[in-house]
Amino acid sequence: MGVLSSLLTSSIGRKILVALAGLLLCGFLIAHLGGNLLLIYGEGPFNRYAQGLEKNPLLPLAEVGLAGLFLAHIAVSLKLRHENRQARPASYAMQRSKGGRSWGSRTMLLSGLLLLSFLVVHVWHFRVQEHADGLYRAVMNAFQSKYYVLFYVAAMAALGLHLSHGFQSAFRTFGLSHPRLLPMIRKTGFAFSAAITVGFALLPLWACFWAKGPR
Amino acid sequence: MRFRLRIWRQKGAEGGRLVDYEIDGISPDVSFLEMLDVLNERLVSRGQEAVAFDSDCREGICGMCSLVINGQPHGPDRGMATCQLYMRRFKDGDVIVVEPFRARAFPPVKDLVVDRSALDRIIAAGGFISINTGSAPEANTVAVPKQNAERAMDSAACIGCGACVAACPNAAAMLFVGAKVSHLALLPQGGPERDRRVLAMRAQMDSEGFGNCTNETECEAACPKEIKMSNIARLNREYMRASLLAEDYTASKESA
Ligand code: HEM
Ligand code: SF4
Ligand code: FES
Repeated sequence: MGVLSSLLTSSIGRKILVALAGLLLCGFLIAHLGGNLLLIYGEGPFNRYAQGLEKNPLLPLAEVGLAGLFLAHIAVSLKLRHENRQARPASYAMQRSKGGRSWGSRTMLLSGLLLLSFLVVHVWHFRVQEHADGLYRAVMNAFQSKYYVLFYVAAMAALGLHLSHGFQSAFRTFGLSHPRLLPMIRKTGFAFSAAITVGFALLPLWACFWAKGPR
Repeated sequence: MRFRLRIWRQKGAEGGRLVDYEIDGISPDVSFLEMLDVLNERLVSRGQEAVAFDSDCREGICGMCSLVINGQPHGPDRGMATCQLYMRRFKDGDVIVVEPFRARAFPPVKDLVVDRSALDRIIAAGGFISINTGSAPEANTVAVPKQNAERAMDSAACIGCGACVAACPNAAAMLFVGAKVSHLALLPQGGPERDRRVLAMRAQMDSEGFGNCTNETECEAACPKEIKMSNIARLNREYMRASLLAEDYTASKESA
């Protein structure tokens, strides 16, 4: 069996694929958050950044790559989950943790599915639709609705929960078990999840409650 | 002591349900399995069928005993098998739910007995050394770093009970396979077949219908021999190494 088919068909190979895509998506999150924070600098800088991105000839390539990462991560992780469900056809009448599972690990599928629904709404609204007045106004207007803000904050909380387990789990999947490095990675993962959640959730809250911008 | 037992009864491969049994006059110093022996004697004397369950050594070394007790494989304590659990661990009057290990790869046989030979088939696929290693070599002729010797020993402590599978939310067998791959990969005698072993054992593990690891670490918590999660990480490393280097390409083809 070649490397590629082993990656796609074996349990361990598929896990590695999910983890690899997941970590690369974490890299995307950092870049995305950086761009979003320009909102705080106002309409000019933010729209210039957005237009710069749209004019970049490499954008379609990056978007296809990003979509590929999401698709691979979602499709393979759902396939794994389906197999895991089949692996225990009769469930326990009583099941109690002996210690080990965390809130993050228990809710990977739930937080993932919430993220998926968020992604559909988010990409549709801010990427697919045309924005005649520029992206800045579209974003600021959208966040005048408290329900919309709530949806965004909830999705970012789900993202934080997802990453609180996912980040360190990915490194374990890559085979990391160093007695000092692994605890460090765990802590880094928690800090990263918290930073990403707070960073992304702050913007809709800011736009709704504090920003003095165009309405 | 008296207890209310809720025990899973199942005639054959299908069906089954929890049946309630009241039991009293149990000494706090009998083991859980001895308590079940007492129950069975009373059931048989009443003309009822005994509860089937597995056990052999009853001292925590053979891996035959199983049982999920109040939702936990091998009961509430860490680092011990069901046969090492004593009734003093419970309170008088407790309700105790007893179920079999549940996984598709462990088909039910009867009551609390399941067929764990899937684990044996994984060993048969590669968890061995083919050459005759002869009698013990002269001391220090085969150099083994001390840490490796100790880690190999820790991994070799696995008794193949399957509690890791029972505890895993995904019914994955990665801790068992990780331990079995590790203890040979860490020693020079395991070197020649290192790649072939991990590829073949992984293939057998998947074809038995075990789930996929999501690093929940419930297996480590349930393992009576306290086999560590690092064995799963090593299994991942060994598998990647063997797949990428493909030094033993024919073996990896065979196992496809
Ligand atoms: C920004 C988006 C996302 C990021 C950064 C991300 C990141 C990660 C990471 C790092 C892992 C750990 C991989 C491992 O255990 O080795 C993971 C696992 C997982 N992700 Fe995501 N994820 C994202 C979106 C999603 C979405 C939209 C879904 C939708 C279903 C999803 C479903 C899952 C599931 C089910 C797992 C567990 C994998 C398994 O069962 O082995 N994720 N994710
Ligand atoms: S790893 Fe632990 S729980 Fe799993 S089979 Fe071996 S001894 Fe039992
Ligand atoms: S009966 Fe042998 S380990 Fe429990």
